Amino acid sequence: MVRLEGAGRSYGPVTALAGIDLEVLQGEFLTLLGPSGSGKTTLLNLISGTVSVTSGRIWIDGRDVTDLPPMERGLGMVFQNYALFPHMTVAENIAFPLRVRRLPEAEIRRKVTEALDLVRLPEIAERKPKELSGGQQQRVAIARCLVYNPSLVLMDEPLGALDKKLREQMQLEIKRLHALLGMTILYVTHDQEEALVMSDRICLMRDGRIEQLGTASDLYFRPLSVFAADFLGESNLLDGECVAVTPDSVEVRTAGGLVMAGLEPRGLVSGASCKLVIRPENLAVLRDGDTAPCITEGVLEDVIFVGGVTNFRVRLPGGVVLTAKRLTAETRLALAPGAPVRLGWKPEDVVVLK
Amino acid sequence: MARRRSSPLSLAAAGAAWLGYAFLALPSLIIIPMSFSNSDELSFPPHSISLYLYDKYFFESNWMAATLESLEVATGTAILSLLLGVGAAYGLSRAEFPAKRLITMFLLSPAFVPAIVLALGLYLYLGVAHLSGTTTGLIISHTLVAVPFVIVTAMAGLRHVDRHLEIAANVMGAGRLLVLRRITLPLLRPTILAAALFAFLISFDEVVISYFIAGVRTQTLPVKMYSAIHWEISPVLAAVSTLLTLLSLGICFVVALVRKDR
Repeated sequence: MVRLEGAGRSYGPVTALAGIDLEVLQGEFLTLLGPSGSGKTTLLNLISGTVSVTSGRIWIDGRDVTDLPPMERGLGMVFQNYALFPHMTVAENIAFPLRVRRLPEAEIRRKVTEALDLVRLPEIAERKPKELSGGQQQRVAIARCLVYNPSLVLMDEPLGALDKKLREQMQLEIKRLHALLGMTILYVTHDQEEALVMSDRICLMRDGRIEQLGTASDLYFRPLSVFAADFLGESNLLDGECVAVTPDSVEVRTAGGLVMAGLEPRGLVSGASCKLVIRPENLAVLRDGDTAPCITEGVLEDVIFVGGVTNFRVRLPGGVVLTAKRLTAETRLALAPGAPVRLGWKPEDVVVLK
Repeated sequence: MARRRSSPLSLAAAGAAWLGYAFLALPSLIIIPMSFSNSDELSFPPHSISLYLYDKYFFESNWMAATLESLEVATGTAILSLLLGVGAAYGLSRAEFPAKRLITMFLLSPAFVPAIVLALGLYLYLGVAHLSGTTTGLIISHTLVAVPFVIVTAMAGLRHVDRHLEIAANVMGAGRLLVLRRITLPLLRPTILAAALFAFLISFDEVVISYFIAGVRTQTLPVKMYSAIHWEISPVLAAVSTLLTLLSLGICFVVALVRKDR
């Protein structure tokens, strides 16, 4: 659907985006995720054509659009600040792209009504944007973008200005529209949770490059770099040294003397320094009699209740602190800071990185 | 907010400010009662109240001709300086091209050149072009003075027009002209109205350049007033001044209203 070959953008000596190779599939929901300054918005603007490439080429729907202005690329875009025209009513806003395409007035009226029904806002056609709430404005912006059935929709942090509750509601709403209409969506966000909830695939960006591209579970469970492990979700990161490497396992001694085993050595050799990643939810706080493939002992430092989950911070003998995250409902452990505890995990939950 | 106790110093400062204001405003205000006098010379206070001078202004001598000439020149100036100034401002704020700052300075330069220098230059230049003493010549001269103000006003207005709106319209398939017509200009309307009124006022008040350019048949109101004070000290001046003050106040009021609306 969208194909980039070495697409890059530099401003004088500054490279905003190095040569990017990326292919977005028909009907896919692909999220560009990354911290600010990682180049995700620049990448989106290259595809929309509002910023021109300084290297590489871009295809949309098999058509080379590298040298086409935005108006001829035939795509839809939703902006973070909604970009609704303040001098037009909601209906006029949604009709705008149809008027540009010179559709007959009756058809315009029908399509505007349909679009408003689609985003479940049938009653507000005659209002001005500034009379609407943030969530309503965003729905109108989405309606205006979908009304001319673009096969590719770009969304630039569309929910960035909404509060948490509304944001979660709109995430599901956008997913519903995606499933219903089947267009290809390229979505930019810096919110990793949003990316995990919404995407078919996530393209993690860093410093103008693609750090890792894969499904949400790929990125979450099999991060290829410390950056990826750290950016998505929470993780315990430990420095260590490889002590034994076989083709399908690696044993690592951490700074504290703890030996952990992980799968997939990924080119590590014995004696090399490495990093260990283990997700807090993969660490279990064991009760008496419980057992696990790998176990270590430590002292409970802190118990942090965060509603549905509870975090246990455990200090190991070497001074390393690990966080274990358990569902509050299943951890009726009467543990106080200072108590000795055992942590258990499975070797396949440990990711070893260079 | 708690009300601050006024110190003697701030009271004195406020007093001085009001005195200064009164000193500046008084001459304009004194004109108003004088304009209702019925004598044939300027006098204060007036001996009796009448509309004699207004009657003279509207129906006698060639005051009306000068007023119509001024209105014509001011309207022409407003239209021409809008076309040039808004166009220039749009280019300066939306496009990238080399030497932009230099070009901006150049376009704004008439505002920095002393009026008398502009007047002399225009007098010689329009003389060669056979436009001296014509309404067209006056409109061109006044446009030169008004355009920098229109550019500055329009550029400030364009800064308030969110570029994302133009980009959004462009992505939705609208070309540059359509975006300008349907998005940018409608959003710029209050600014354009304000700029037009300012240009009109600048032209309507202009004396120095008009004095050089205007001919016998194209005398503008301020030029006529200046001559009147020079040669006859006609009391009609008081009536004209009063009307001009009202016009300026009215235009400033409209501009303020339009600005507030935004």
